[in-house]
Amino acid sequence: MRHLLAFICLLPLVSWVTAADYYEQLNLRPLPLSALLASFNFRSNTSFYDFESHNFRYFPRSLGQILQHAGTRELHLRFSLGRWDAESWGTRPWEGQREGGTGVELWAWLESESDEEADEKWLILTNALSGLFCASLNFVDGTRTTRPVMSFQPEGDHPTSSIPNLRLLHGVLPKEVVCTENLTPFLKLLPCKGKVGVSTLLDGHKLFDSAYQSMAIDVKPICPEDGDCVLEIEQTIDMVLDIERSQRPQEIPRPPPSRDLKCDTSKPYHAPNTCFPLGYNASQEWSLSQVFGHPMKGTCPLTDPEIPPVCIQVPHSRSVYTSAGVHQMKNADGRSRCFTFDSEGDFDIILPAPDADDTGEIIANTTTTMTTTDDELIKSPTPLIYAERSLMGHGQERGGVQTILTNPSQDTEVEFIYMESLPWFMRVYLHTLNARLEGSRGKAQPAMIEDIYYRPAVDRARGTQLELRMRIPPASTVFLTYDFEKTILRYTEYPPDANRGFDVAAAVITTVRPRVQSVRTTTLLLNLPVPDFSMPYNVIIFTSTAIALAFGGMYNILVRRLVAADEAPSRLARAKLGKLIEKFRSRKSTRK
Amino acid sequence: MATAPTPGQDGSQQAPSRIQDTSLGAEKLSADVLSSSPAAGPAVKGPPPEKPSNVRRRSLVILSFWAIVLCLGLPIWWLTTTIYRAPLPLDTMLRWADGKACRPVFPLHISVEASSLQEQEAQNLLRLTQHALDDLNDVASHHLRLQLAPRDNAPTAPDGDADPDDKSPVVLTVRLTPGQSTQASLHPHSPILDITYPPTAIPSPTSSSSSLASYIANELLSTYAEERTIISYLLSKFPAASEPRPNGLSAEAAESLSKRTTRSLRYSPTYHLTFSLFTSGAVPNTWDIERAIQDYMQPLLDVLGPVHNFTMDTQIQLYATPGAQSDVLSKDDLASFINAAEWPLSPSIGGAPTINFLLFIGNQTVGLDSASVPDTTSEAAHSWLIPKWGTVYLQPLSPSASHVTSSDLKQPMLTFAGHLLSLLGTPETGSLPLRLSTLGRIRSADLLLRASSTLGSLARLSRALPSISIPRSVADGVAKTIHHLELACTHLGDLEGLVHARIAEAEAERAFFEKSMVGQLYFPDEHKVAVYLPLLGPIGVPLVMGLINEIKAWRKRRRERAAAAEKKDL
Repeated sequence: MRHLLAFICLLPLVSWVTAADYYEQLNLRPLPLSALLASFNFRSNTSFYDFESHNFRYFPRSLGQILQHAGTRELHLRFSLGRWDAESWGTRPWEGQREGGTGVELWAWLESESDEEADEKWLILTNALSGLFCASLNFVDGTRTTRPVMSFQPEGDHPTSSIPNLRLLHGVLPKEVVCTENLTPFLKLLPCKGKVGVSTLLDGHKLFDSAYQSMAIDVKPICPEDGDCVLEIEQTIDMVLDIERSQRPQEIPRPPPSRDLKCDTSKPYHAPNTCFPLGYNASQEWSLSQVFGHPMKGTCPLTDPEIPPVCIQVPHSRSVYTSAGVHQMKNADGRSRCFTFDSEGDFDIILPAPDADDTGEIIANTTTTMTTTDDELIKSPTPLIYAERSLMGHGQERGGVQTILTNPSQDTEVEFIYMESLPWFMRVYLHTLNARLEGSRGKAQPAMIEDIYYRPAVDRARGTQLELRMRIPPASTVFLTYDFEKTILRYTEYPPDANRGFDVAAAVITTVRPRVQSVRTTTLLLNLPVPDFSMPYNVIIFTSTAIALAFGGMYNILVRRLVAADEAPSRLARAKLGKLIEKFRSRKSTRK
Repeated sequence: MATAPTPGQDGSQQAPSRIQDTSLGAEKLSADVLSSSPAAGPAVKGPPPEKPSNVRRRSLVILSFWAIVLCLGLPIWWLTTTIYRAPLPLDTMLRWADGKACRPVFPLHISVEASSLQEQEAQNLLRLTQHALDDLNDVASHHLRLQLAPRDNAPTAPDGDADPDDKSPVVLTVRLTPGQSTQASLHPHSPILDITYPPTAIPSPTSSSSSLASYIANELLSTYAEERTIISYLLSKFPAASEPRPNGLSAEAAESLSKRTTRSLRYSPTYHLTFSLFTSGAVPNTWDIERAIQDYMQPLLDVLGPVHNFTMDTQIQLYATPGAQSDVLSKDDLASFINAAEWPLSPSIGGAPTINFLLFIGNQTVGLDSASVPDTTSEAAHSWLIPKWGTVYLQPLSPSASHVTSSDLKQPMLTFAGHLLSLLGTPETGSLPLRLSTLGRIRSADLLLRASSTLGSLARLSRALPSISIPRSVADGVAKTIHHLELACTHLGDLEGLVHARIAEAEAERAFFEKSMVGQLYFPDEHKVAVYLPLLGPIGVPLVMGLINEIKAWRKRRRERAAAAEKKDL
């Protein structure tokens, strides 16, 4: 049943595959609070024959030979940064299917006969990818690798004969900081190399300045019903830009003069010298060249000319200005419009603020109230589930994790799989796992954990893997808690700057019903007891002192002779004795 | 770590003062008990004389402490802190490195087919030719040995010079046929040297010299001239004392040879070939590479099959800007033409080294002064070879053409094939089969010498760094290397020697680059002091002081005893 559902949900994705070997599109969607979601999507295909005979055209050779060498049949790689604010931004782009946890996330289906072989291939794969993408993927070792059982399903069309030999491995590096050095190899994989087309808008300064960004690479085989199977690489970048931030001038930021401040004049304390800043949802004018730093340069000639490279989701009531050579097409749904471009030149698209529009109605609305976003923006659908996770517990030893899962829908029950892969130094007490349901209707009923897959951690060898199949009734919240114990690590196992804490990978929530959607929580920063790192010397000195004390005492008791105080040759006595001897000697010599 | 020295100092200072304290305490405590002592004088009250049993017991205590320290403590300390160094046959390794262990000799067996000659005449001709060869050959390690091909009807005994049990395969066949004049020609597809001779040139059985014999000898030597110079060049680079420096190797020839050796890639059983189409725009974005490789490259790869395996891949890269923009590329531009930062030319993963063949679609040409490149032809103006890396070929194409056809690829492919041979280190003259068999011999000599020099470096390293640990695997690797080197040395010149030399080289490299040896921990001596001092200070001082006092007391007793004995005698 699950497979069938997954298949049905993936159907629209599959049907999107076009006949051309290369496809690229940029989708822009203004979000509330002056944010803008830009979703870049690039897809290239190669036939299986060309792939097997090592002839690469649009499919990147560097990645292709890694896949061949490591026996990888399907690959998903994610580089993410920031947090998707689901409360205000709504559903994630691509239903969360192109999203990863903070840091780097990798999962792949490897073809192998045994688990050991899969591990070897996984090692090859992670090492090679780490070199290709300048990421620390080679640190995805046994302790960070899991084999999810329920959460992930292959997206590609694999031949039925090979399915029993496909092994899924999943690894996360939550601490990895995604940056420009990961974007450069990403762009190199594109046939147009970021020189023309949509990809010219990708600039490290803007991409990594955004509030949320996720780079995804997905390689999967696709077999259309009519035609030969192809291997598809899909590269996706989703970024949420703060329009105001991205338009700031490239100089040292200074506070704006008071006359430029946008104040909320409705506040009773509003005065010339007090100002309550107006919310960000006052829409602003923006243009492509302003938010991305430079205009779009030309179009990639490899794409199907029928497919518009840029689409924007704003109501048809808003007007959009374009530079020369850009042709606008309004889509029939009334919510979006697309743009086609001439092949050469610099293109720009300008979305004016709604109050600059001709319709006086909107001007009146925006100036008086803030509830006009429906006219300005396309409202994002509400996600199936909200999830947040936080650390609890006290002291250096006892810890706890609480995940709050909310089903916002009023009438639909949500079934999902909750997966956590925890590091081995979090010793989870599974018996403390507790799910508490709080329905909006007031009557508390036991939350329904339907299925648990738990693979306990082995110290220094593998982490905990916990997968729960759960169900939340409509309009209710589940509090999922469990306790764990913090481990004291060995001296050399602490990373540099151990006091910063240890990152715990994001939990992956995959809804199964009513449709497949994927949500990831934020990563956690876990504080472990950290020793004093001058400890070895302290230990050496402490034990040495103890040994010296014991030894010295024993040795002296055995060796020293006990005499009366007046019998002992005191220092004074010794000095006198010396004088006496000297006198004696001198007398002797004079006698001679 | 910063706090470490302070407690250390405290500990060492504390210990002696504590000893004094205890002794003072003991004095006070025992003051009343031992108040009356017979030896005490009126002014200074000395301690009472000790019982001899007490003295002996104290000596025994001190001795036993020292015995424990010396017999138990020191060995344990030594065993736990010593660095494991597997025994290496250093002398043997250095002998190999100096070229004393093996004298590389390449016996080449050349069979002479003279079916039109009488048995006796043929033997005589063979003997004379061999003499002429031995007189002319100046490279001791390179032997040409003639033998008569077995006739169809009767098996012929090999000539006197060759070892009867030597089963080395024949590398070249000389076919003697009667003709009008003395002529020699090399067969293009098989290792055969055809020599025609006028019937009058057959030497009589009694003559000691013959023009035909010296002619054959000269022909053979000139056929193998290049191989001889390369091998003697290779040997001369290593301190092989046994090899006299060939006088025929001029400085100029040595330079060109060194250029060629630096150009060629390291030996590997498998090479990975990457064919890349780079273009600065969006077109052309298809090419007929599979067919072109099949037509123009595969025949050569098939011939190279016995020596090397090849894997291949191809790629197309659009919007690639070269590092050098000018239309006519100067010599400096050639070095920067490859835009390493942007072009995805990463080497293949897996063990095989990658050879890149790059086809760049553009109107640029190579402008070189013809003096620097002697073999400037029309083709050289479009391509150049990057040592140990590959080849770049500039192909002009009309800007609208979106497809590179197989016929467009013919010239680039032939250039690539030629450059592949020189990247592999194949000699430049002779027919292809001869060049390839020479390649095998050059490679085995090269590998042999390389493995020997690695062994020498390892031996010198282990002598130079006494604190480096040598794990057992290194010793195993060295033993294997030496074993295979010996085998390779005895089988030099045939394929088996190449196999052994390859194993020896790989083992030597593996032993030299052993991980645990490379990552040697930096542990300075100050740290050792900081670790040992807190323990050795407080324990060592009483031990040593006790020993010194005991020795003093012993000497004093001895003196007293001697004095007493003297008194008695008096």
